[in-house]
Amino acid sequence: MPTPKQDLLQGTLDMLILKVAALGPIHGYAIAQRIRQISSGVLQVQQGSLYPALHRLEERGWVKAEWRHTDTGREANFYSLTRAGRKQLAAEAESWSRLSGAIGVIMQTAE
Amino acid sequence: MDRRLAKELQFHVDRHVEDLVASGLEPAEARRRARLAFGGSAEIEEACRDERSGRWVEDFVRDLRHGLRLLRRSPVFAGAAILSLALGIGANTAIFSLMDLLMLRRLPVREPDRLVQFQKTHPEYGRGSLSYPAFLQFRQDLRSLHGIFAVASMGREIRVGGAEERASLELVSGNYFDVLGVPVSAGRTFHSDADAVPGASPVAVICDGYWKRRYGADHAAIGKTFEINRTVFTIIGVTPPEFFGAYVGRECEIMIPVSMDAEVRGGRSWLDRAEFNWLSVMGRLRPGVSLERAEAEARTIFARSKQENVARARATERSDILRQSIDLIPAGNGFDELRNRFSEPLAVLMGLVALVLLIACANLANLLLAKSASRRQEIALRLAIGAGRGRIVRQMMAEGLLLATIGGALGVLIALNLAGALVTMMSNGDRRIALSPGPDLRVLAFAAGASILGCLLFSLAPALHSTRAGLQRNMAEARTSGRWRLGRTLIVAQVAISLFLLVAAGLFGRTLWNLYSMDAGFQRQGLTSFSVNMRKAGYAGERVRTVESRIVEELSGIPGVESASLVLLLPVSGGGWDGHLVVGGYTHAPGEDNKAHLNLAGPHYFRTMRTPVIAGREFDERDGPGSPRVAVVNETFARYYFKGRSAVGGWLAFEPTPAKRFEIVGVVKDMTYRNLRQTFPRTVYFPSAQSGADGPDWHSFVIRSKGPAPPRAAIAAAVQRVDAKFRVPETRTIEEHIARSMLQERMLAALAAAFGLLALVVAALGIYGVMAFQVARRRREIGVRLALGARPADVTGMVLGDVARLLLPGAAIGLAGALALSGVVTTMMYGIKPTDPLTLAAAAAVLALVAMAAAWLPGRAAARLNPVETLRCE
Repeated sequence: MPTPKQDLLQGTLDMLILKVAALGPIHGYAIAQRIRQISSGVLQVQQGSLYPALHRLEERGWVKAEWRHTDTGREANFYSLTRAGRKQLAAEAESWSRLSGAIGVIMQTAE
Repeated sequence: MDRRLAKELQFHVDRHVEDLVASGLEPAEARRRARLAFGGSAEIEEACRDERSGRWVEDFVRDLRHGLRLLRRSPVFAGAAILSLALGIGANTAIFSLMDLLMLRRLPVREPDRLVQFQKTHPEYGRGSLSYPAFLQFRQDLRSLHGIFAVASMGREIRVGGAEERASLELVSGNYFDVLGVPVSAGRTFHSDADAVPGASPVAVICDGYWKRRYGADHAAIGKTFEINRTVFTIIGVTPPEFFGAYVGRECEIMIPVSMDAEVRGGRSWLDRAEFNWLSVMGRLRPGVSLERAEAEARTIFARSKQENVARARATERSDILRQSIDLIPAGNGFDELRNRFSEPLAVLMGLVALVLLIACANLANLLLAKSASRRQEIALRLAIGAGRGRIVRQMMAEGLLLATIGGALGVLIALNLAGALVTMMSNGDRRIALSPGPDLRVLAFAAGASILGCLLFSLAPALHSTRAGLQRNMAEARTSGRWRLGRTLIVAQVAISLFLLVAAGLFGRTLWNLYSMDAGFQRQGLTSFSVNMRKAGYAGERVRTVESRIVEELSGIPGVESASLVLLLPVSGGGWDGHLVVGGYTHAPGEDNKAHLNLAGPHYFRTMRTPVIAGREFDERDGPGSPRVAVVNETFARYYFKGRSAVGGWLAFEPTPAKRFEIVGVVKDMTYRNLRQTFPRTVYFPSAQSGADGPDWHSFVIRSKGPAPPRAAIAAAVQRVDAKFRVPETRTIEEHIARSMLQERMLAALAAAFGLLALVVAALGIYGVMAFQVARRRREIGVRLALGARPADVTGMVLGDVARLLLPGAAIGLAGALALSGVVTTMMYGIKPTDPLTLAAAAAVLALVAMAAAWLPGRAAARLNPVETLRCE
């Protein structure tokens, strides 16, 4: 039975990518893998959303890209966070937690 | 950028495959899964690109590179298209800048818009100049203008520091600088007081350009002197650099008070001669006075002076005098002599060039249309995956812009060179014409505007056309009739314009041919002419006659010279001399024109010119100062006055002195007089030897040589054997002389022919390209036909038939246009009507031939198609 894929809002995807990239330079495939692993398969990012998002983040100056060699010797584009990106991540994390907190309160009291 | 993006995505897929394989899948299966999971890479690439804002520039650069590839793939077509665009823009810009200079440039003086010019017109003879007494009268009586000055422009030999050189002089009235408001940049100018006493102001003001050229901008030039006809003039000042005189297109060098005219002329003064009209007159309107009021006042004064002149004049001249009229026209851009000469041909040229530009645009449109047709699959796909229509249109417009930029840049280059060449052609050695059509900002703006307009025109239309409507339309083979319709219309337009230009080329060419080959009454080849300034060497009166005949003797002795003679007015001299005659045995009716053109000729003149003597004899050595007075008349004269009888033996005399009779001893064939176009007037020749002490102090010598023209050195040596003081500044063959007089015709014919040829080449390329595309498009259909048994000749015939169907409407439109506009060029024709059927038919035939030839190649390619192949690979 295929797990129902969660569709991610664009803003949320950006935030997740920033979070994953905060831990160190990482290429696109690994980002998708990481997100899937950590969410235990609930969140599966499609390439069609991932790469445009990465380019968008690069465009805004929150990540920077660098071509490096992987340990297997191949060349891949590694993304890492910039300082502006870190600030953005902090800001988004904060507003996310406020948002989810508020939604949680409403869901519990409604009826 | 694109490559790295593709690489990045590829890496992703590879890793996915690896992982799948690692989890136990077969490599092939792994690859399939990975591919499926990945989705469409093109789409993703688009989306990524969408995110980048540096996108516009990137896109543009990519589009330009793509455009370059496009051009390199079809170099011939692209080259022709760019070249025709460049020539179209370049020629348009060049002619526009010339017209701008001639028409629009303002005189660099104070308030040029308040200046007006006096224009005297006679309904038949056209515009004329004014005499000095007339100028004085206007200056005295005309209240509406508060400054009236007169100018006469001429070229003269002056003597500077012992050496002879030619300079262009302007004789100007004393108030010239004051009325115009021209300051002086060094020294001083002269003023109205210089007019007071004739001959008392031997001063000169020189122009900045001349000062720099001749005196190296040395301030010591002021105070230096030069001689004209042994009168010493002193330079007293220099005008500022931007001042070039009152004639646009001429650069004055030296300005001298008009009161010195006798000294400059080297003879009698014309200041008191009311019958000599030689001055251009301009004035400044008083503040608050309108042009109309000034003109009305001028006309009143002129009418009064006409009455006075009529009372003094002969009966036959009265009507001429009364029919003159005077107008005041705005003269903010200088005297319009040059404008008159060249504005008409320039306007015609501008029209022709604009047409060529249209053809160039049409060609470019076709080029892009054809290319877009061959890319419709790519376009369809891109539309399908969501690329905006705007994006694709933008790309095609970028390609068009690329072509336009290259063409425009090339065009500006051409414009700069062409403008210079046109000016050289127009001036034809006349040094006084000095237009400097430098890179004017307006001209560049025009070129840029033309390029951009062209770009929009020829890229927007095909771009919108190709991306119209849906996927099916583009993917489907058969339904491209819409595009074909646009291509066809463009071809028809090209054909029409080409035919029009060919007809123009034909008409101007034949006019030129007619002028060259017309019977001018003498043999043009092998004649050289020159003149010598007798007065300078100190000869005058009767002595001039003696020395003239000695010069002719010496000239006859030069090896290779068949005969030599002299004449006052060469054919095509542009000058004229006429008089009123009484003819024995003929009574003029009252008011009948008794004028005849007059000329002085030396012994054996007609033999030298190879003009047949029809009756009697021509002048020879016995017609000297003491012998009976004789005259020779031309055919037209003899026919008019003597009808069937022989004119030889008759007599004629001048009206004021009817007793002084000249016996007519010969009749010669008609010769052109003033210029080639004029019909032969009644002409009377008198022996130069009998012109006596009052005769002119110069004649033109003519030499008939058997082979090539004798070198100037040989002629100069011969002349100097008579007197070492004589100078022979230049010699010219009659052919050169005639060529100079036909400048306008030559220019028009050459340029029209060039444009006609250009149009033909461009149209041929257009037809070839479009037909080739058509054949490619219909390969399958042709394959089917061939397979079903059609002969190759039929297929070729089909292609040719397609073109023929385009030729007919195009030719019809072109012919209609040529007929409609024939009235415009009627005055410029000679010996041929603008609606000449032979020319029209020839032009159409040439066009048809070329079009068919252009279509034949693709037609032959179509016939050679292998039906099996075409059917298979679709």
